[in-house]
Amino acid sequence: MMWTREEAQKLAERILSLSRFPECTVTLAASEQANVRFANNGITTAGFVLERSVTVTSTRDGRSGTAQTTETDPAGLEAVVRRSEELAALAPPNPEHMPPLGPQEYPETGKYDEATARARSPEMVPHIAAVIEAARKNNLVAAGFFLRSATVRAVANKNKLFGYNRSADARLTTTMRTPDGTSSGWAGQPSLRIAEIRGSEIAARAIDKCLRWRKAERLEPGAYTVVLEPTAVGDLVGRMGFAMDARAAEEGRSFLSKKGGGTRLGEKLFAEFVTLRSDPFDPRLPALPWTGELLPSRRIVWVENGVVRNLVYTRYWAAKTGKEPTGFPGSLVMEGGEGSVEDLIRQTERGLLVTRFWYIRIVNPQTLQFTGLTRDGLFVIENGKVSRPVRNLRFNDSPVRLLQNAQRAGRPERVQGAEGGSLVVPPLVSTGFQFTSVSDAV
Amino acid sequence: MISRRLFLGSSACAAAELFGAPRDAKQPSAELEKLAQTALREARRLKATYCDIRINRYRDQTVSVRLSPERGTGRTLEVPSVSDQESFGFGVRVIARGAWGFAASPVVTEQEIARMTREAVAVAEANARIQSRLVVLAPTRAYRDRWTSPFERNPFEVPVAEKLELLRAAAAEVKKEKRVFASAAMLMFHSEDKYFASSEGSSIQQLVVHTIANLSATAVDLARGISRTRNYTPPPLEAGWEYVPKMNFLEHAPRIRQEVLEHLAAPPVEPGKKDLVLMPSNLFLTIHESIGHSTELDRALGYEANFAGTSFLTPEKMGKERIGSDIVTIYGDRTYERGLATVAYDDDGVKTTRFPIIEKGIFKHFQTIRDQAHLIGEKESRGCCYADSWASVPFQRMPNVWLAPGPPEVTLEDLIAGVDDGILIEGRGSYSIDQQRYNFQFGGDAFWEIKGGKKRGMISRVAYQSRTPDFWQACDGIAGPSYWEQYGSPNDGKGEPMQTNSVSHGCSPARFRQITVIRTD
Repeated sequence: MMWTREEAQKLAERILSLSRFPECTVTLAASEQANVRFANNGITTAGFVLERSVTVTSTRDGRSGTAQTTETDPAGLEAVVRRSEELAALAPPNPEHMPPLGPQEYPETGKYDEATARARSPEMVPHIAAVIEAARKNNLVAAGFFLRSATVRAVANKNKLFGYNRSADARLTTTMRTPDGTSSGWAGQPSLRIAEIRGSEIAARAIDKCLRWRKAERLEPGAYTVVLEPTAVGDLVGRMGFAMDARAAEEGRSFLSKKGGGTRLGEKLFAEFVTLRSDPFDPRLPALPWTGELLPSRRIVWVENGVVRNLVYTRYWAAKTGKEPTGFPGSLVMEGGEGSVEDLIRQTERGLLVTRFWYIRIVNPQTLQFTGLTRDGLFVIENGKVSRPVRNLRFNDSPVRLLQNAQRAGRPERVQGAEGGSLVVPPLVSTGFQFTSVSDAV
Repeated sequence: MISRRLFLGSSACAAAELFGAPRDAKQPSAELEKLAQTALREARRLKATYCDIRINRYRDQTVSVRLSPERGTGRTLEVPSVSDQESFGFGVRVIARGAWGFAASPVVTEQEIARMTREAVAVAEANARIQSRLVVLAPTRAYRDRWTSPFERNPFEVPVAEKLELLRAAAAEVKKEKRVFASAAMLMFHSEDKYFASSEGSSIQQLVVHTIANLSATAVDLARGISRTRNYTPPPLEAGWEYVPKMNFLEHAPRIRQEVLEHLAAPPVEPGKKDLVLMPSNLFLTIHESIGHSTELDRALGYEANFAGTSFLTPEKMGKERIGSDIVTIYGDRTYERGLATVAYDDDGVKTTRFPIIEKGIFKHFQTIRDQAHLIGEKESRGCCYADSWASVPFQRMPNVWLAPGPPEVTLEDLIAGVDDGILIEGRGSYSIDQQRYNFQFGGDAFWEIKGGKKRGMISRVAYQSRTPDFWQACDGIAGPSYWEQYGSPNDGKGEPMQTNSVSHGCSPARFRQITVIRTD
C-alpha cells in the first residue's frame, strides 16, 4: 500500500505510458492512519485506515481534464487516464493554462520518522491511559483524540518530472471538563515524532486550565489588550496566508489592494517585530518538497520586520507580471522572542489571556475581518497576573489588525488549532482586539 | 479485486443504470453480499459480538467556468475547470470485548477484507482496556433491500461539453455588464453507491445522487477599495440532471448582475436591535447551526467535547425546555423527499425516521444512533448514523432538520408589513456559533432594508448576533406552506478525524423580533 520510491516511479511510468495526450501529470497519494478517540474517560472509537489515490490531469491544446481513482489495477488505471482525456477533449481551452514543467530538483525535507509511521495501539493507548488517569484523579472528565499518520506522495509528468516524498506526523489533544459541565480546559501537542508526545504533560496543562477557569464571570465585550497563547495566534495568523494572493491584491479584492489600484507590497503594514515566512525546512513542521504547481518548495519571506515582502504568485500570474512564482504559503513560521506566555502576562498591566479560538469564519475578505469565539480558558490579567476567569467572548477582528497592534511576542512553537493547519507561532500581546458579545458556552 | 463492472454496469443497459444493477433491482448485488460474508465470517471466528461492513463507491464531478478580465488587456477570459473523482473501498466495524474497532482499505478483495477484519478486532481489543462503558446497541430489524434516491437522468452521463456550455452561457450573461468584474458558474454532482451488511442479517444497497450548483458575480470599486459578491444558489437536492434546467440559470443571471452592483453601492447598515425577515436561503443555515447541532445526542453526552463541542441541551431537558415560541415546530427527518440526508437506511442499518425535535417551542427529541439511544432510556435508534466515506467510522450525524411552515394564509408580504425597522436577508454569508450552540453570528448574501412595513433598497455590511433560545423565542411569524423551500449544506463538519455530511433544511420565510444587528467591516 505505501509505495516505495521505486514502486511509485514504476506505477507513475505505467500510467504515463497509457496517456495519449501530449501533456499528462500524475499524482500518487497513499496514507496509513491509526487514530483513537476518547470521551467520558474512556476510548469511544478507533480506527486503522489505509487510503490511496491516483490523480491524472491530461491536457491537449490547452484543454484539461482531471480524474481521480482509488483503483490501481490495470483496468482502474486505464479507466482513470481515459476519463481524464475524455473530460479534456470536451473542455474548452483554458487561456490561463501553463505549459508542463520539465524535470525538477526537489529538496529533501526529511520529515519521515519511522517510529511515528509505524505506531499502533501499544504506543498510543498508554498516553491516553495517562490522560484519563489524570482526569479521574482530579475528578474531571477527559475527551480527546490521538492520531498518527504516514503519507506517501509522488508526482510525475511526461516531461520526465518526478518527485517522491514520505512523511509522518502525530498529534494528541485533550479537553478536560468538570462533571457538571461548568468549566473546560484544552491542551494539545502536534509533533513529527510520536516519541515527543507526552500524554501526562498534555493532561496536566488541560487540567490546570479547567481548574482555573471554574466560576467564570461575565465580562462586558469591548476592545481589550489580549495575550494570545500560541494556539490562539496560529488560529488567526494561519488564515492570513490564504489572503496573500497577488492577483486578488491587484484586482482590488484583498487587504493588500491599494485604494485606486496597485498593491501594498513593500509597505510597512505590521508591527516592527513581525516577520512571517514559509519554511519547508523547519524541523518542527510537515512540508512537501514541491508546491501545488510542482515547483520546488523553498523558503520565502512574506513579511519582514513589519514590511510586506512577497505576495503569492501562481505560475500564470507570475508570467503575466514578470515575477517568480511562489507557491502557496505553507509551512508558516512567525518569528518571536524568547519569553514564555507567563513572561508576557507579567508584562501586561490589564488584558485578557486567550487559550484558543473556535468557529472562526471570514466576515469580510477585503479587510480579513473574521468572527469566532474564545474557548477552553479565558482569563483577566491585572497588574501582570492572571486575576480571574471570565466567560467566553465572540470577536470580530482581523489578523491584519492583530499584527498591526502587536506589542511583543514570546518563544515560537508548533501549534495546530481545531480548524486550521499546522504552523510555528509565538505567544503574542496585541492591543484593541474587538470582542462584540458574550457567550454562555463552556 | 472486485470487478469494476460490479458497480459500473454493462454498456448494454448503461442508460438505465448508474453504478450497479438496473435501477428497479430489488435486491443488493450478489457479488457484494458474497464479499461481505468474508468479514462477517472472520469476525465471528475471532469472537466479535457484532460486525458490519460497508463496501462503497463514491463519485464526485465538478465542472466550472470563471469569466474574468485578462491582466493588461481587460479582455474577458473564460477559464474552465473539470474534475471527476472516484473512490472505492470498504470499512469493517466490529464490537469485541464490548469495544468498537474499525479498519478500512481501498483493496476490495476477500483476502484484504479478512485481513482488515482482523485489524478491526485487534483495535477493539486494545481499546477495551480503557473503556468507560461497554458498547450496547439498540435493537433493529434485519433488512434485505435496495433503495435509490429519486433522479430521472444520471448526471454523470450528461456530456461535459453540455454542462460547460450551460455554465459558460450563464456566466457570460452575468458578465454582460462591464462593471461586473468577474462571474463564475459551477455544477457539482455527487453519488454514493453504498452497500451495508451486518452480522445481524442486514444486506442493504443504496444509491444516492446529489446535484449542487452556484452562479456568482463579483464587483469591485477600486477607488473606494471595496468588493462585493452576489450569488444565485439553487437548493442542493437529491436529484439528477433533470433538476439542472429547472434552476433557470439564465433567468437569474440578469438579476444577480444587477444586484451585485446594487450591493457595491449599498449604504452600510445602522447597527442596533432590528426585526429580521429571513428567507429560506438564509434561515436554513441558522436552523442547521442552532437547532440541528444542539440536538445531536453524542454532543449532549460529551462524545464531541474535544472538537465540535457539547450542547446547551442535556437529556433532562427533553420534553420540558422551551427553545422557541409556540409557532416553532422543527422535525428531524431522513425520509423527506429530495433532502440531502435522505436514505432508506442509515449506516447502522436502521430504517430512517421522522421525529419532532421541537414541538410548539418545546425541545422534544435528540438525534440518536444505535450505540447511544439506551443512554437516554430510548428503545430504538432514530436512524441518524452516517460515515462520509468507506474509510470513515460511522457516527451520529444530522438528519434533514426542517421548520414547519406557518398557516397557509400567512404571506411573505404579511411578515414584511409587520416590520417598522428591519432587514430582509437572503442567501448564505459568514456563520459562526459557539461550541454549545448558544451564541451565534450570521451574515447573508444580500440585505434589504425594511422601513414602515415596506421592503426598500439594498444595504450592506450586516451580521446578526443572538443566543439560540432567545432567537427562536423571538420568532413571531412564519409564512405558509407555499413559501416552503428546502435549502441545504453539502459540507457540514464534525468528528475526529473530521467528516463531512450533506443535509437539507426546509423552511418558509420567518420573522424574528428585535435581534442584535452589527455593522461588519
